[in-house]
Amino acid sequence: MRLVILTLFCLLLSGTAGVAAYFFPVVVAGVGQTGQTVVVPPSNSPGVSATPTPSAAPGAPFTVLLLGSDDDGKNKSPLTQSMILVRVDPASKHVTMESIPRDLWVPLSTGEHAKIDAAYANGGAAAAIATVQRNFHVHIDEYAWVGLTGLIKLIDLLGGVDVFVTNPVLDDAYPDDINGGFLYGYKTVAVLPGAQHLDGAHALQYVRSRHNDINGDFGRSARQQQVLLAMKVKASTLNAADLPDIVSALKGKFKTSMGLDRVRSLLGVANAFDPANVKQIVLYAGLYTSYDHGAAYGGASVIIPHWPQILAVTRENFP
Amino acid sequence: MILRRIAAVLFLPMMLAFGSGVYLYLGTLKSKVVKTRADLPTVTKPRLVLPGTMFVVQDGRLFKLKDGGFTEIGSAGDWSQPTLTPDHTHLVAVLRSGYSSDLYLLDLDGHIVKRLTKNDSRIVDYNHWAFYPRVSPDGSTLFYSYDGPKHVTNAPGDDLSIWSMPLNGSQSQARRRTDPYWYTGGDATPIPLAGTAVLYVQHSIDPSTAVHSQIRLQSRLGDLVGKPLTSLADNCSQPALSPDGTQLAMICTGGKQTARLEVASFNGTSLGPPRILLDGGLYASPAWSPDGQALAYFAPSGAAGHFELWWLAVPVVATPTPTATATPTHSASAGGGASSIVVPSLPTTPVPVQVTQGVDLSATSPPAWY
Repeated sequence: MRLVILTLFCLLLSGTAGVAAYFFPVVVAGVGQTGQTVVVPPSNSPGVSATPTPSAAPGAPFTVLLLGSDDDGKNKSPLTQSMILVRVDPASKHVTMESIPRDLWVPLSTGEHAKIDAAYANGGAAAAIATVQRNFHVHIDEYAWVGLTGLIKLIDLLGGVDVFVTNPVLDDAYPDDINGGFLYGYKTVAVLPGAQHLDGAHALQYVRSRHNDINGDFGRSARQQQVLLAMKVKASTLNAADLPDIVSALKGKFKTSMGLDRVRSLLGVANAFDPANVKQIVLYAGLYTSYDHGAAYGGASVIIPHWPQILAVTRENFP
Repeated sequence: MILRRIAAVLFLPMMLAFGSGVYLYLGTLKSKVVKTRADLPTVTKPRLVLPGTMFVVQDGRLFKLKDGGFTEIGSAGDWSQPTLTPDHTHLVAVLRSGYSSDLYLLDLDGHIVKRLTKNDSRIVDYNHWAFYPRVSPDGSTLFYSYDGPKHVTNAPGDDLSIWSMPLNGSQSQARRRTDPYWYTGGDATPIPLAGTAVLYVQHSIDPSTAVHSQIRLQSRLGDLVGKPLTSLADNCSQPALSPDGTQLAMICTGGKQTARLEVASFNGTSLGPPRILLDGGLYASPAWSPDGQALAYFAPSGAAGHFELWWLAVPVVATPTPTATATPTHSASAGGGASSIVVPSLPTTPVPVQVTQGVDLSATSPPAWY
């Protein structure tokens, strides 16, 4: 009897050790990359909560600010080339995405006026969240930041993404900065139209190219949302056993305020919700924004927000 | 005491083995997308023996499908979009290299016969792209999409136009056939018809900033914008003309992220009403069987799948009857001349058959099939 008990104990012990070893990278990542604490400066916008932003209750709708950066070393602190507000309603399985143009000229939470992509560079996730909250009058529960190579690795880990490319995406000045070359070098890329399978590198080309898009950064924003949805389709097939590979792929290239519990619940939402329940908003020039440039903006070309229209659509979709 | 030592000696390897087993077992629970990688076509067995010979592409490698088996052909490189000459003796294919792509004439075993274009340059900006090669029915002219001219006043930036050049001539004899809508990526997928006419896909943008694809017909040289055969709203592209030239297969999205595989009759100047064969999937690059009775196309098998080759019998329908009462779905707003035709009903529901399993074929390289 003692031998049986001892045997079972040993098996339990060794099995637990096996499980622990398997998920060790997840635990390390959980400590280092998830659950990032951000202290958001007090807001001066009506209806926006003050520091620190409390997370939504489990099961309640919550809003995530997705940040994507060209962390290639051009800037000591990376700019955010992509900022997307995502509202997830776990109960109704409804998701709303609103892309924020990176050249949007706004007052940053750190005081000065600048393009909104500088908020993260100037003050990290806290400044990016505070800037979006103040200007868009929206409450942000969580944030997630991913670097370029992290996105490539994640998509490759998912086995690529399937998208329908509406028109040829050609770019003669695409940044050639990923593989350790000259940081300011460039190359040509061509993503052909039609349904196709994109690996991480080509998916990045698709979401990052902007020079020959008649919609400029807005067109790129729409493509980013498209690839996010395609990633969702692939992510819906993931399970807990995939987590070690995922965190290994994203090592150092991903940060989020979400704890592992919320990440897991997000995977659950990804499994359940229907793409038809996804609303996509891009703040195109014309109705929501307009182009401008000149000395008033430090000589830069910027996008001027039409706040009444932007706030109306944001309020409607991010209550 | 001795027994305890023996037990310890036995238990330690057992624990090590069990712990390792648990670790390895967890690895087997990974989802399919994470642990599955595509096979080369040559190590797979098609589920269906297709008639004739077909050329497809995976990872820049050319494969020939014949008698129910794949063989790899050609030299190493990033090959794509093979197309047959009308006499079925040669292929024309695209070879990407670095920042450009060129067209090559190949024999049916993939050996290079002639380089048809030279688009590479040491100056990044002066590289060019050439895609979608197609040879005219008389075998004399090569049509293709080309991103030129660049760096010229009042010319598009990186947009593709339809160009043509003598198949046995040189690139210096090439001439631009279409004027693309700038900054949309331009015109793609030319299908030369008898004479000088050509079908192609134009990409354009509407006032709401939505980008559209539209199949157009250029019936004569010098007509740089052609005539629309499908409506903007239908967003149709990837046309494939049947061997007898009377039916056009195409992919239409209606602005959605999923597609319809449609077939419409074609009389040389306009399309008849479309028949939707498949709806709601990521269908790509249809190609007609040599007898014109079936289509091959690419689509993923399931949410986590790569693009596989599929086969679909095209139901035969009665010849559309002209009438003054019905309204065609296509061309209603396109001015394509597809006047009042009764929409024929499908006699049977086509059932697609998955031909390959576990491969990852290039969905932007339509099968070349004869």
